[in-house]
Amino acid sequence: MRRALVASVLAVVIAVTGLGAAGCGGGGDDALTVYSGRTESLVAPVIERFTQETGVEVDVRYGDTNDLALLVGTEGADSPADVYWGQSPGATAYLAGKDLLAPLPEATLSKVAPGFEDRDGRWVGVSGRARVLVYNRDQVAEAELPDSVMDLTAPEWRGKVGLAPSNGSFQDFVTAMRHLEGEQVAERWLRGMAANDARTYANNNAIVEAVGRGEIPVGLVNHYYNHRFLAEDPGLPSRNHQFADGDIGNLVIPSSVSVLAASDRQEDAARFVDFLLSEESQRYFADETFEYPLVKGVPPAEGVPAFSTLRPPAGERADELGDIEATGRMIAASGLN
Amino acid sequence: MLLAAPFAAPLAYLVVRTADEGETWSIVSDAALLGPLGRSLLLGTTVAAAAAAVGTLAAWLVMRTDLPGRRVARLLLPLPLVLPSFIGAFALIAAFARGGLVERLLSPVADGARLPEVGGFAGAFTVLTLLTYPYVYLPVAARLRQLPASMEESARLLGRGPLGTFATVVLPQARTAIAGGGLLVFLYTIADFGAVQLLRYDTLTRAIYANRLIDPAVAAALSLALGLLAIVVVVGQRRVAGRLGVDVRRGGRPLTVQLGRWRAAGLGFVGGLLTLSLVAPLAVLGYWAIRGAAEGSSRPTSLVADPGLLVEPAVNTSVASAVAAGVAVAAVLPVAFLTVRHRGRLGGAADALITGGFALPGIVIALALAFWTLNSPGAFGGLYQTLPLLVGAYAIHFGALALGPSRVAVASVPRRLDDAARTLGRGRLARLLSIDLPLMTPGLAAAAGLVLLSAMKELPVTLLLAPAGFPTLATRVWSAAEDAFWADASIAALLLVAVSGVLTWLLVVRRGEAFS
Repeated sequence: MRRALVASVLAVVIAVTGLGAAGCGGGGDDALTVYSGRTESLVAPVIERFTQETGVEVDVRYGDTNDLALLVGTEGADSPADVYWGQSPGATAYLAGKDLLAPLPEATLSKVAPGFEDRDGRWVGVSGRARVLVYNRDQVAEAELPDSVMDLTAPEWRGKVGLAPSNGSFQDFVTAMRHLEGEQVAERWLRGMAANDARTYANNNAIVEAVGRGEIPVGLVNHYYNHRFLAEDPGLPSRNHQFADGDIGNLVIPSSVSVLAASDRQEDAARFVDFLLSEESQRYFADETFEYPLVKGVPPAEGVPAFSTLRPPAGERADELGDIEATGRMIAASGLN
Repeated sequence: MLLAAPFAAPLAYLVVRTADEGETWSIVSDAALLGPLGRSLLLGTTVAAAAAAVGTLAAWLVMRTDLPGRRVARLLLPLPLVLPSFIGAFALIAAFARGGLVERLLSPVADGARLPEVGGFAGAFTVLTLLTYPYVYLPVAARLRQLPASMEESARLLGRGPLGTFATVVLPQARTAIAGGGLLVFLYTIADFGAVQLLRYDTLTRAIYANRLIDPAVAAALSLALGLLAIVVVVGQRRVAGRLGVDVRRGGRPLTVQLGRWRAAGLGFVGGLLTLSLVAPLAVLGYWAIRGAAEGSSRPTSLVADPGLLVEPAVNTSVASAVAAGVAVAAVLPVAFLTVRHRGRLGGAADALITGGFALPGIVIALALAFWTLNSPGAFGGLYQTLPLLVGAYAIHFGALALGPSRVAVASVPRRLDDAARTLGRGRLARLLSIDLPLMTPGLAAAAGLVLLSAMKELPVTLLLAPAGFPTLATRVWSAAEDAFWADASIAALLLVAVSGVLTWLLVVRRGEAFS
């Protein structure tokens, strides 16, 4: 037994020194480093294709969009990342505000539909996520569903609406409401929702799951979650509802990609961004993630309504979704949590 | 103190960040902080008390009585620790919430029956108690293994029943282990985010999370408040525990208490505990996995289509967490020696720092280590996002878990043995290897086991500090769950439990048995 102990102590020491050596050798100085707030299960195949077609090796750090933005912020000019690919314009704006992002060429920016690129060129939209009202069709008839997200503060929806106040997409939606409808309207809506006993959830998944179970009849989410739930369990009674034409509740939010200013691989990083906007990649997002391609001519997946039928609010520009601090304060002050 | 220095890194980072921003005092003194702080304290103390009761009773039943199936139970009881709290909470909701699996199963017999709503304090309390009682169970089980049987025998001869013996003899002797484990549960609970977020109980960690990007200064100040709260609690608990002392009596063959007519009750308790904390979540995961497998998948990254994708994460998880367990034990052992044998202020301060690191959310630990490595010159800076840094981060985050059992292990070595060896001319190292370490093995195995099980499920630290392209089972579970690929998430989570079962058996159960 004594020998076994000495052996295990030695094994730990050897393992640690071995790891140290491996750590110094690894790190892949030749590879392009991507920090991805998009999850591995969704985007790994696209990144693999990029390497196959260009020969450029890619190291990917997958993580939570906001956490990765904080990490890049902490790393600053020393960041190993060349590309930041996040889910929410708000998180990207945090990095833009710290002057950490490099401008993209006009040719890249003009590939996507207007409004889904940063006017200062610091990021470009990759895929679109439409805000919808997910509802349980066993509990609510389609005809009873509201025309506007603003109607959800009405008494008939008391205690029936699920929200995710800490979710990036919800916060982006509130920021857009502040810009398009005015600060007071946004503030009144948030307070109205709180007063109307809106039920809060951790994230979009939790809302769609609760609607599917029948815990709540409706919830505000991004459109693709329900498509994924239905792909796993086609028997679920949850369906997506769009509000009337031009309603703020139909906002389309892009996931966005950007190149870091401190990267010494600007050229490969730009190639990566262009690859994400290629028809091949856009088709992949449509079919595998149920999101909207933002480059013209690529249709969404079967069962997902066409981009042209989305009826988002007029005049919305995703690069106005950066002011998350004021949005966060407004949400906190409204009493939703 | 040099050894404890790395453990100060996260708190030092928070002090730097908070000092940078200014205006912090107004944030921390804000009334808005008091609500979340109060709820964190309430949840922490109640969960700690409940987990202490449950963990102690379970440990006594499987270590000291003739409970049927106790050998299997010994292996299974630590395992709930490996379930990430967000998975535990999600499974609980899916099973017991309105319209969930249980209601659907019951609907043929009890149509229209509705279960009470899952969420808020009750939900968070239940989930966290079920997932954290092993923090008490493991050290108490290790302690009971060493207790002399003579006192229990006397109690039995004096006509006390099993419960009476438990209350008057076993409980007082295990109280240091119980208090230490309860403290860990408290710290884990106030640092937990996954369960409170899903179950909507608004604690300090939720406020930190909500503010982390919107207002990083507020998030840093709130984290600092959390860290200081932990230190205050640790110091306070040490004062009380100091008076209790560490009971080191040992010897003899452990007594097996005949449960008699309490047998069914004991079996019901352990069975019920395992059902709720392990079988129920695993059943939900199994249901999702089987449903997904039946449905099939054409996604190239699907685990249903290609389970081979799990080999690399499983190896990474095992290696990183096992090495972290070894490093953590090695790092805290000197502090354990210092506090047990010398009892100085220095040891107490190191103790508080190490323990405080456990109460900080993983994201804070990760950002702090990123900050310090990147701001260091030379070799240390080169460690950024390498495996040694990840292992170091685990050791810093979870070192507190190794401290209590290590302290008990050190205390279990009779000083006179060491003195005798010294008289015989054995050197310091030889004494450590030939006398101290063998006697300490069960305690150190328990210490390593606690770190191991926690490191295996750690998420934010792994995501931010692991080398790029270093998937673990926990990151696989998270990634799939984010995308609502429940079948994939379940398969990875089930493997996480299976791997932890094997490692627990190898490192904790088997090691411990060899010395009983």
